Amino acid sequence: MDVLTLIAKFGIYFIFAFTLSAALLSVTVQNIFHAALGLAFALMGVAGVFFVLHADFLGAIQILLYVGAIMILLIFAVMLTSHIGDASVHTSNRQVYPAMILSLLLVYLLVRQIGKVTWQLKETLTSIDAVEIGKQLMGPYVLPFEIISVVLVVALIGTIVIARSDS
Amino acid sequence: MEKLDQVFVHLKAAIVHLAGSFLPDWLVVIISILIPIVGIAMFGPVTMMYLTLIERKLLARIQNRLGPNRVGKFGLLQPLADGVKMLTKEDVVPTNADKIAHFLAPILIVIPALLVFAVIPFGRNMIAIDLNIGVLFFLAISATTTIFIFTAAWGSRNKFSLLGGMRSVAQMISYEIPFVLSAVPVFLITGTFSTAHIVEAQPGLHWFVWTPWGFVGFLIFFLCGVAECNRTPFDLPEAESEIIAGFHTEYSGMKFALFYMAEFMNVFTVSGLVVTLYLGGWQGPFLPSWIWFLIKTYVLILIMMWFRGTFPRVRIDQLMNFAWKFLLPLSLVNILATGVWYYLRAPLNFLISGLIVVIGFSFLMFVNRHSLPKKRIYRYA
Amino acid sequence: MYGFGVLKGMAVTFKNFVQSYFVKDRMVTVQYPEERLPEKERFRNFPFLIYDGTPDNLRCVACDICAKECPPKCISIVREFDAQGKPLKRPKIFDIDFTVCMNCGICEEVCPFDAIYMDHEFEIAEFGRFNELQYTKERLLKPEEYFRKIRPTDATRIAEERRKKEEKKAAAAVAAPSTTITPPPPQSK
Repeated sequence: MDVLTLIAKFGIYFIFAFTLSAALLSVTVQNIFHAALGLAFALMGVAGVFFVLHADFLGAIQILLYVGAIMILLIFAVMLTSHIGDASVHTSNRQVYPAMILSLLLVYLLVRQIGKVTWQLKETLTSIDAVEIGKQLMGPYVLPFEIISVVLVVALIGTIVIARSDS
Repeated sequence: MEKLDQVFVHLKAAIVHLAGSFLPDWLVVIISILIPIVGIAMFGPVTMMYLTLIERKLLARIQNRLGPNRVGKFGLLQPLADGVKMLTKEDVVPTNADKIAHFLAPILIVIPALLVFAVIPFGRNMIAIDLNIGVLFFLAISATTTIFIFTAAWGSRNKFSLLGGMRSVAQMISYEIPFVLSAVPVFLITGTFSTAHIVEAQPGLHWFVWTPWGFVGFLIFFLCGVAECNRTPFDLPEAESEIIAGFHTEYSGMKFALFYMAEFMNVFTVSGLVVTLYLGGWQGPFLPSWIWFLIKTYVLILIMMWFRGTFPRVRIDQLMNFAWKFLLPLSLVNILATGVWYYLRAPLNFLISGLIVVIGFSFLMFVNRHSLPKKRIYRYA
Repeated sequence: MYGFGVLKGMAVTFKNFVQSYFVKDRMVTVQYPEERLPEKERFRNFPFLIYDGTPDNLRCVACDICAKECPPKCISIVREFDAQGKPLKRPKIFDIDFTVCMNCGICEEVCPFDAIYMDHEFEIAEFGRFNELQYTKERLLKPEEYFRKIRPTDATRIAEERRKKEEKKAAAAVAAPSTTITPPPPQSK
């Protein structure tokens, strides 16, 4: 096999392994701040998967939104609840083993069903220009775009209403 | 002049050719990928070291004193002395600190600072990777710096660090929105995110800064860049007389050196991006392209240092007011002015878009007039 | 007009920057080992002992007043005895511990014999901690010409006073040359 392809495959498997191990770390550690960091790394790994599949725009947006904004929000929430960083707060319960068995069963069922569907795959991966995405958003997909904008405006107004002091 | 312009490209081609004569093909590909990486890794930290020296001497001359001039002639070996000092300092870790977060934060904060060097066009055909989402990559990666600053603040287990870190994060996420929005007019006009194409769309001296929307966009983008780098006048989270030293209080020696280096690399890359988007990148009349790029970037860095020597710090509420109530609406008005400029013909488009910008600016100043500090009258007894 | 205050401020710092290269007296930095600021006469640093002429002719009589008045007690004096055991008016040992001395100048103020004064020397850093900064009598003795050089007004004033005292003593000795013991004059109550 060509050495470069081998190196590329090694890199891709490394990205997958990084994502999975970060996600595993995020659910198993005790300290909740480390769990949040693990989640941030897992999301960055997902962005890496997007880059592997040549979806550049989506990968950049994933980093910008998830890691750059949503994780900040999550960490603010962790920070502002007091005493949550102490080691005395239990972040796991006593039913670990039944939960693990059930979730593994769920993963197996999902993977089997997903594998049975014949997905329509493209032969070669090409990266879509952002201009194309813009045209699609303003053309066939304009309704979801506008609904999402309205939802965001409603959320913003709701935040301002909640955050105002009762004067 | 043509040879001087492409001297680095020819150098790289020569090295690859030399390697291709006796090495297998796949190794040649790896070497041709590694050459820009090694170039950046050599150029980056060395420039940062000498930027610290230039800053100290510039600030000193503004303040009527000499800067460092003992170590080597004109203080040129001072960064080496600083490096040796930081390497040999004792690494103090507080007992209650979160060991993993405290250890990882300085390492992780250098990663975004170095990663964005890949999309800056240093000259004609001299860009490490020509991504077709170049500027978006830059904006996304510099947004991840925020979470690592948080890690640094939390890992110190120090209330003042935490406070400084939260202020820094609030400042960075507030200034990211006008940062991105003031880069949008450039994307509208050129239709691409790629930095190489944006520079090629500003031939000769037709830079975007000479248009009304470009001028306002340049000012907003530059100010937000200064705020993103935590430089004066927006350095409330990390200045020496505030909150001890903000989020990097508990870090000493090499860890602090990494924070410092990441900050200066941020300064360089943000200036490089401002030059790329608004000031025409490497375009210019006579000199080679990479010299133009370096001149423009260094002029902007010197202006940032000039700001540091001139202005007092902005208070945290004034900072937030400035971002949300002034820069954000102004950048939205700017996008409108861009659209108008694009669709009308010259010279009408300059007039109309200039008018839109001036009206928007005046309206926002009028609306924010109570946030402006009143002019102080000093009466001496 | 908005924004011009900012630009005016930046113009001021720019002017400072440019003029710092051309206008010489804007720079207040004194490059220390090569250039020094002029010495001030009233500068007060560690003490020294004065001798007139030769080092054996020192003015100190080992009266021990400076050692008693010294606040951190850094002066140690031992009087010299001659071969028969009679006390002489000179110190055998006069040590000042410079690591303790706080440069207050009280020893200079209380000395009745104008023997100890405060010096101007400040470049006396040593590498050792224990013996190098214990100044013995030999290191502390300095000639009167040195005193006149570093503190001219004080030196001339004190030399005047000493000369007047000498003259008065000489005049008193001339006025009463006889060796007979005259009875003291009667005291009136």
